[in-house]
Amino acid sequence: MDDLVKFLIRRRWIAAGFLLGGVILLLPPPSGLTVSGQKSLAIAITAIIFFVTEPMPLPTVAVLIGVFEVLLGIAGPMEVSRSFVSDSLLFIMGSLMIAETIVKQKLDKRLALAIVRVTGPRVERVVVGLIVVSALIASFIGEHTVVAMMMPVGMTLIASAGPEPRELKNLPALIMLAIAYGAVAAGIGSPSGGARNAIMLAYWRQLFQLHVSYLQWMEYLYPIVVIQVPLVAWILLKTFRPEVVDLSRSIEELRSRVAEEGTVTARDGWTVIIFLVTVFLWITVSDQIGLGTTAMIGVALYLMTGIAHWEDFSRGINWGVIFIYGGAISLGIAMRDTGAANWTAQWVLRGVEPLGLHGGIPMLFFVALLTMAMASVMSSGATVGLLAPVTLHMADLSGTSIVATGLVTAVASAFTFMTPIGSPACGMVYSSGYLKRADFIKAGWKMNVVSLGLLMLMAFGYWRLLAFPGGGK
Amino acid sequence: MKILMCTDGQPYAEEAIRFGGKFAHELDADVTVLYVRPMAPGGDSIYLTTARKKMGEWDLDIPGVEYLKRAKDILAGAGLVAFSPERDTGVRQTFRGSAEGGVELHLIGRHAERVRLKLREGESAEEILTEAGQGRYDLVLTGSRGHEGFASYFVGSTALRIAEFAPCSVLIAKNIRESHDFLMCTDGSKLAEKAELFGAQIAQALNARVTVLSVAAEPAGLKAAQEQVRRAEMILAQLGVQAKVKVRSGRPSEVIIDEAKDHDIVVMGASGSSAVRRFFLGSVPLKVIEYGACPVLLVREKPESKRRSTSRRAG
Repeated sequence: MDDLVKFLIRRRWIAAGFLLGGVILLLPPPSGLTVSGQKSLAIAITAIIFFVTEPMPLPTVAVLIGVFEVLLGIAGPMEVSRSFVSDSLLFIMGSLMIAETIVKQKLDKRLALAIVRVTGPRVERVVVGLIVVSALIASFIGEHTVVAMMMPVGMTLIASAGPEPRELKNLPALIMLAIAYGAVAAGIGSPSGGARNAIMLAYWRQLFQLHVSYLQWMEYLYPIVVIQVPLVAWILLKTFRPEVVDLSRSIEELRSRVAEEGTVTARDGWTVIIFLVTVFLWITVSDQIGLGTTAMIGVALYLMTGIAHWEDFSRGINWGVIFIYGGAISLGIAMRDTGAANWTAQWVLRGVEPLGLHGGIPMLFFVALLTMAMASVMSSGATVGLLAPVTLHMADLSGTSIVATGLVTAVASAFTFMTPIGSPACGMVYSSGYLKRADFIKAGWKMNVVSLGLLMLMAFGYWRLLAFPGGGK
Repeated sequence: MKILMCTDGQPYAEEAIRFGGKFAHELDADVTVLYVRPMAPGGDSIYLTTARKKMGEWDLDIPGVEYLKRAKDILAGAGLVAFSPERDTGVRQTFRGSAEGGVELHLIGRHAERVRLKLREGESAEEILTEAGQGRYDLVLTGSRGHEGFASYFVGSTALRIAEFAPCSVLIAKNIRESHDFLMCTDGSKLAEKAELFGAQIAQALNARVTVLSVAAEPAGLKAAQEQVRRAEMILAQLGVQAKVKVRSGRPSEVIIDEAKDHDIVVMGASGSSAVRRFFLGSVPLKVIEYGACPVLLVREKPESKRRSTSRRAG
């Protein structure tokens, strides 16, 4: 009896989610929405409830999306499985595999040495160095990989800075957040920087037949990364004044740890070369052969040369995340096909029309705020997956550029600087034990405001100079 | 005897471990020191494990391990651990572990008593209770900040939850003093007898003075209370513990809290096993823990020993 009550209390959100979904199914369809549109909307709302409350492991939600699409007759089993797996999903998978291979190598130690060799012992310069390197790598591979590689560097710097680490407050926050924020802010830089970018490419192609290449994406968004790096440094150095200005002792310690490793091995060299070849192929030929296939070439090379081991992949990659992206894309396609996305977009536009947010730059601003709000209660990947079909249709209906709207949705979903749970990168640096939750809030709100401002400036200025596929401004 | 000591690296927790080390040494007890690292909810364990492995490559300890090492030094000071594991290069490796579940390190003491250092991740009270249940401990020792204004009420909630829900005896240590003057509370029940037996062991280990107290709710009950303390005195005398006796009347929780001012440790049975009754009436031991000025040893029967005895009966 007691156990049953406990079970029900723990699972109450499952019941609530299904109940709400069932009620939506039973209601008469609102005008303009087909019955199957109503069904996919019911799935979407239930999925959002599950993604936010997490009453079950999140990949389960993705599985349920596929199951209910078939059970409710929205699409056939073949169509559903096809919508799950696409070139974009292969791309996400391949990027994660490549990142896992890189993190397995001991490149981080050489990287650390290279950073301090350039920056010298001044703390401001070291911080800028950490941000630049974090951002540079994270703009091409997943942020969690970058943080896993850079975190020990930061921890070594803090632990041997001089005073007891427990007596330091600002220096640990400064260094750890430099790594995390650098990585998170740069994840937008290229399609392989984050899975949500890949989802956006998939939506443009599958929902609107718009093709944006790897290089085009970088052309649109890399300038933001470049401007963002000094801003991150400035915000962090203003917020956390370091107790120690001269990090000579830390750098000595770092050198001695790296010295144990010896010189660069051939393996390190091949790791970097294969990665650069993959990026080169992404930039040059992925238009013809697809981003996913290109990623798989890199993965195959790593496996054949023995640099990567399959066991590393099965252990070190969160396969559940890939399911979540598959499920989100599948639901997005179902929402388009059944007209639910279009109907929701109309409904939202009508709602914001009195505020003047129903087109152009004001609408982009609204989309950014909406995305940030949603990303603060669920994972950024799921946010883009569920929200983008609606925001892209809003763009389509209002004559705003679909590509610009998609970019804003993808970028704003990364503005999760205020909590350790907002992104894997922040969660990982939080697990170092050097940060308090309050540290994220102290610097995070400034990061959010500045990033949003910068994004809007880009939309207002730089992007207008570009000709986006599909037109619209 | 198996003792679980909790630390969070704060001075009050380490004070409690120093105190626990004193009697654990005398009792040849097996000691586990547990540190619970708070984890961000929704933290992705696969990514965290990747980060951990990297930290291992850099020879960086999981945060919190330094608290366990300090606790080990404290216990070594009490004579519990014979050798320093630092010299053993293999030891550092055993601290590495997955992001989920406990990570542990074993040390063996002079009398073959074991000291284990353990690190778990999650919500502190929950993980301590899980460990207490899984490890079949006889006693959970946890420090408490004691009363320092408003904030301590919330800080103390972890200790209170442990006291309420632990499956074994609990020692909540706050305002630990140098002298060890025991105040044993009895109400003549079976559980109170258990508390006397358990308390006597620790009192002997600490070489402490003991006073037995019984509180009568009404003056008419004073006679029965007299009898109760006499019986307790006899039990203690059989164990070789000299005890003074005292009888008072009034509200038990208030009287005990008042008497506790002149004593250093309160020993009592965990009464009111029904959660419903506790909810409506409040529990005397929990009130004493919350508002009393000194450490409280709350004695409770381990559930598995009960199960064993019933199965024996059935067999």
